[in-house]
Amino acid sequence: MNESTTGMAVRKEIVVEAPIEVAFEVFTRGIATWWPMATHSTSEARARNVTLEGRKGGRLYETDVDGKEFDWGEVTHWEPPNAVTFTWHLGRAPEIAQLVEVRFAAEGDGTRVELVHTGWERLGEEGVEMVKNYDSGWDFVLGRYVEGVAGR
Amino acid sequence: MTYGNALQALADPTRRDIFERLGAGPRSVGELAAGLPVSRPAVSQHLRVLREAQLVAERREGTRNIYNVDPRGIEELRLYLDRHWGEVLRAFKKEAEATAKRRRDKK
Repeated sequence: MNESTTGMAVRKEIVVEAPIEVAFEVFTRGIATWWPMATHSTSEARARNVTLEGRKGGRLYETDVDGKEFDWGEVTHWEPPNAVTFTWHLGRAPEIAQLVEVRFAAEGDGTRVELVHTGWERLGEEGVEMVKNYDSGWDFVLGRYVEGVAGR
Repeated sequence: MTYGNALQALADPTRRDIFERLGAGPRSVGELAAGLPVSRPAVSQHLRVLREAQLVAERREGTRNIYNVDPRGIEELRLYLDRHWGEVLRAFKKEAEATAKRRRDKK
C-alpha cells in the first residue's frame, strides 16, 4: 500500500484484484460485508450493520443490535463506478467538516482505489501558523512534524 | 469509534470551542473563560483534558498560564486516521477480491 500526505490530509492507495465495477459495488452497496465493525464503529461490539445509500444525499450510517442508527456521514458525490465522496462525522463531532473521497481506476485486470480524507488542514495550519508566530520554542517539535510528514 | 485521546477530547463541543479559539493564538484561562458560557474552573478542567491529549500546551508567563495549540496532538490525530483508513482498505481489498473470485468461478 502506497501512502503519502499533503499537510493534514490522509491519502491512501490500494490496488485490488477485482474489476472496477466489482470494486465499486463492494465498497458501496456491499460495505457491510467487509467494514471492520467490531473495531471501527460507534457501538463496536453492539454494532450490527453499516449502510451506504448509493445516491447523492444518501446516508452513511451504522445500525446497532437494537436497531438504533448512528450517522457517519452523507454522500456528496455519486459517480459509479469511478468515485464516491462522503462527509465524515468522526463519531460524535459533526460540526468538524470532514470529507472522504474515494476514486476507482481500472488498472490491468484490477482496480486502483485512492482514498483521501481531508478536513484537518484548517486545524493543522492554524496550529503550525500559531507556532511560527507566537512561540519559537516549538521550532524543534514542528521540525520533527515536518520531517515525519516528508518521510512518509 | 476507537479514536485516540485527541479525538475523544474534541468530541466535547466546549472543548472543541476552546481548542478552536486557541487556534487563533495563545490565551490565558481568564481570556478563554471570558468568551465562553462556562465557569473558569470548567475551562481549566477542559484545558487539562486537552493537555492530556497533547492538543494544547501550557507555559508560564509572569503570574499567568498561557495555553497554545500543540502540534503533537494534531499529528497524532492524522496518524490515527492514517491507520484507520489503512485497516479499512485492507478489509475492503480482501472482500473485493473474494467477490471477484466467486464471480469468476461461477462463469
